[in-house]
Amino acid sequence: MSANSLPTAPPAAGITIRGLEVVYTTGQGQIPAVNGINLDIVGGQITGIIGESGSGKSTLAMAMMNAVPHPGKIVKGSVIIDGVGNMMTLDKESQRRARGRHVGFVFQAAQNSLNPLTRIGHQVLDLGRSHNVKDLRALLRRAKELLERMGMDADRVLTSYQHELSGGMRQRVGIMFALVLDAQIVILDEPTTALDMLSQASVLEIVRSIQEERGLTIILITHDMGVVADLADRVIVMYGGELAEEGKTEDVLAHPQHPYTRGLIRAIPRISGNLDQAVALAGSPPDLQTFVQNACLFYDRCPERMAQCQNHRPPYEIAGPGRKVACFKVMAK
Amino acid sequence: MIEVRHLEKTFPGTRGLLGHDAIKAVNDVSFHIPDGGAVSFIGESGCGKTTIGRILAGLETYTAGEVVMDGQNLAQLPRRQRAVLLRRVQLIQQDPYQALNPARTIEQALTDPLKVIAKERGADKAWIMHRLHEVLELVGLDPDAVIYKYPHMLSGGQRQRIVIARALTVDPSVLVADEAVSMIDVSLRLGVLKLLRDLRERFKISVLFITHDVASARYVGDDGQMFVIYKGRIVEHGLTDEVILHPQHPYTQALLSAVPVLKGLEEPGPDRYIPLKEFGHGQPPEHACAFAPRCPYAQPLCGQEKPELVGTAHQYACHYPKERHVVAVPLSE
Ligand SMILES: Nc1ncnc2c1ncn2[C@@H]1O[C@H](COP(=O)(O)OP(=O)(O)OP(=O)(O)O)[C@@H](O)[C@H]1O
Ligand SMILES: Nc1ncnc2c1ncn2[C@@H]1O[C@H](COP(=O)(O)OP(=O)(O)OP(=O)(O)O)[C@@H](O)[C@H]1O
Ligand code: SF4
Ligand SMILES: [Mg+2]
Ligand SMILES: [Mg+2]
Repeated sequence: MSANSLPTAPPAAGITIRGLEVVYTTGQGQIPAVNGINLDIVGGQITGIIGESGSGKSTLAMAMMNAVPHPGKIVKGSVIIDGVGNMMTLDKESQRRARGRHVGFVFQAAQNSLNPLTRIGHQVLDLGRSHNVKDLRALLRRAKELLERMGMDADRVLTSYQHELSGGMRQRVGIMFALVLDAQIVILDEPTTALDMLSQASVLEIVRSIQEERGLTIILITHDMGVVADLADRVIVMYGGELAEEGKTEDVLAHPQHPYTRGLIRAIPRISGNLDQAVALAGSPPDLQTFVQNACLFYDRCPERMAQCQNHRPPYEIAGPGRKVACFKVMAK
Repeated sequence: MIEVRHLEKTFPGTRGLLGHDAIKAVNDVSFHIPDGGAVSFIGESGCGKTTIGRILAGLETYTAGEVVMDGQNLAQLPRRQRAVLLRRVQLIQQDPYQALNPARTIEQALTDPLKVIAKERGADKAWIMHRLHEVLELVGLDPDAVIYKYPHMLSGGQRQRIVIARALTVDPSVLVADEAVSMIDVSLRLGVLKLLRDLRERFKISVLFITHDVASARYVGDDGQMFVIYKGRIVEHGLTDEVILHPQHPYTQALLSAVPVLKGLEEPGPDRYIPLKEFGHGQPPEHACAFAPRCPYAQPLCGQEKPELVGTAHQYACHYPKERHVVAVPLSE
């Protein structure tokens, strides 16, 4: 049977982001945490968003749900979720229903966002009620299936409080909550950061297999290039609130174009190969001073900077099939 | 040189849902670190790594075994003499935020220990300032740029360098680095790892490197010994690259499999496997392999008899040791 004669599944939901701007107003000034981002999240794939601490990954994720907390504010832009609409213009109630039902999420430090005083099983029921789920038994059954699927003793977990679970177990419970209402889009913000290597690998393995099974659209946010390189179909590199580079994972890893992406990949400690090939990334992350300059955000740290880079921000442009890069040097080639 | 013989530490039992009986957190652990050498301990959360490090730094008692420094058994020394020796063992912990007082500048944080030493040696203020600059330069920081700063003004990598600089003020002969890079942004880790390696070579400082990440252990001590521990016991040890390239124990193989594979640059080793089950808490039975409940290669014997360490330079405790190819294989262009 040829590939074309297979029945085609309905295309999985994607997200279209245009001109998105989020600013935090602080005592020290305005922080452009997300600065004019245009991004298409492809449905049915795992998209990895990578960037160092403070690059705006969590802010971008929260903005996708129109849920940026004070003192942050979405000043511009649209986020269109397939099958839902523009999160910026929908009425509050439709937005609320979309969160959880269409888009499941595990925000960063989810360990703390689980309710400490309520057993996990009760929290599942509460979630169901707040989304008017009629058949709560079926919902609990689904929660149980998911937990077992992730290698856990479901009955024990459902009757536990969060403090009785290890970090790896809590992350799995977070993923269960994100999936239990059958969301087709799932946002995972640093799902493995506090975990040891083995727990991390097993959580990633779970994400991989559930994604394959259900054809979900997954957005995976992390500061660890290795995690993205292992799991994601596409990589988005963020730097100082803007996008630096994107493309298919294999392409980006094998042929990184932006000097920052190259630096990130070189800085990954490896278990084989020449030790001296690894080079630490020089310089420090952008600060308020960086944002007010006209220069490329990476200018101060860039080993390949040119005169032009000091006076303008490079535009984010197509640089090959499925690739985009914001770098004058790359464009000049 | 520091040497540990048949170290054992039993913690009394705890109560509650995750409560357990008395637990042998460290069980018959022996190793030595030559001057300027490195030894790494790898294993997942709860396997007893921190306990070993804290015992070495004199912060935790032990229930059996010996710790010998420069030929002297610490337990047999008078208190004062022991304290003098132990000061030369400095512990660097995971969280550089917690290790530094947020209300004190870097200069204050470093001059405190220097004042104590100056008093002992009858050195003056100029010596303190000289040494302050010296240790900061050693860890790769520009003294003039950081001494007036508070910890929150520095990046995670810079903060950990400050913690290392503070440890260096006392001319240590052993550094115990316990997950010293796991809270630092991945892009900055490599620099700190290289620094630790440098200190070994330049000052003949011995490093005990504790981590769950095999790759970072390799950067600090590819020429040293690697110990894999599971539930307080050594399950495999040998020269670092020997253990990484020719792992014999299924648990070592799981840890190596957990290192993310860089799609586009590598492909997974053919035998890669990731156990989804987390390890249960509590004390494993005396008459079985502790890893048996999670081991994909377990046979009936594994549940009946505890495997002892066998081999000469490279040792492993498994009834069915077998080299497997779990490490990622680089793609040839
Ligand atoms: N509540 C807040 N108030 C003020 N500034 C904030 C707030 N939250 C985030 N920021 C700032 O916005 C920028 C982006 O932060 P964000 O948390 O989105 O980054 P991130 O990439 O998720 O970082 P991390 O890897 O540390 O989670 C940073 O400069 C941060 O200091
Ligand atoms: N003070 C204590 N009282 C009782 N049990 C303890 C104590 N400290 C550690 N343990 C137990 O000893 C075992 C080993 O703990 P340890 O902190 O040494 O592990 P670890 O390998 O450093 O773990 P992690 O990677 O999470 O830091 C664990 O089962 C832990 O629960
Ligand atoms: S002794 Fe048995 S259970 Fe233990 S690691 Fe070896 S094969 Fe697996
Ligand atoms: Mg974040
Ligand atoms: Mg520890």
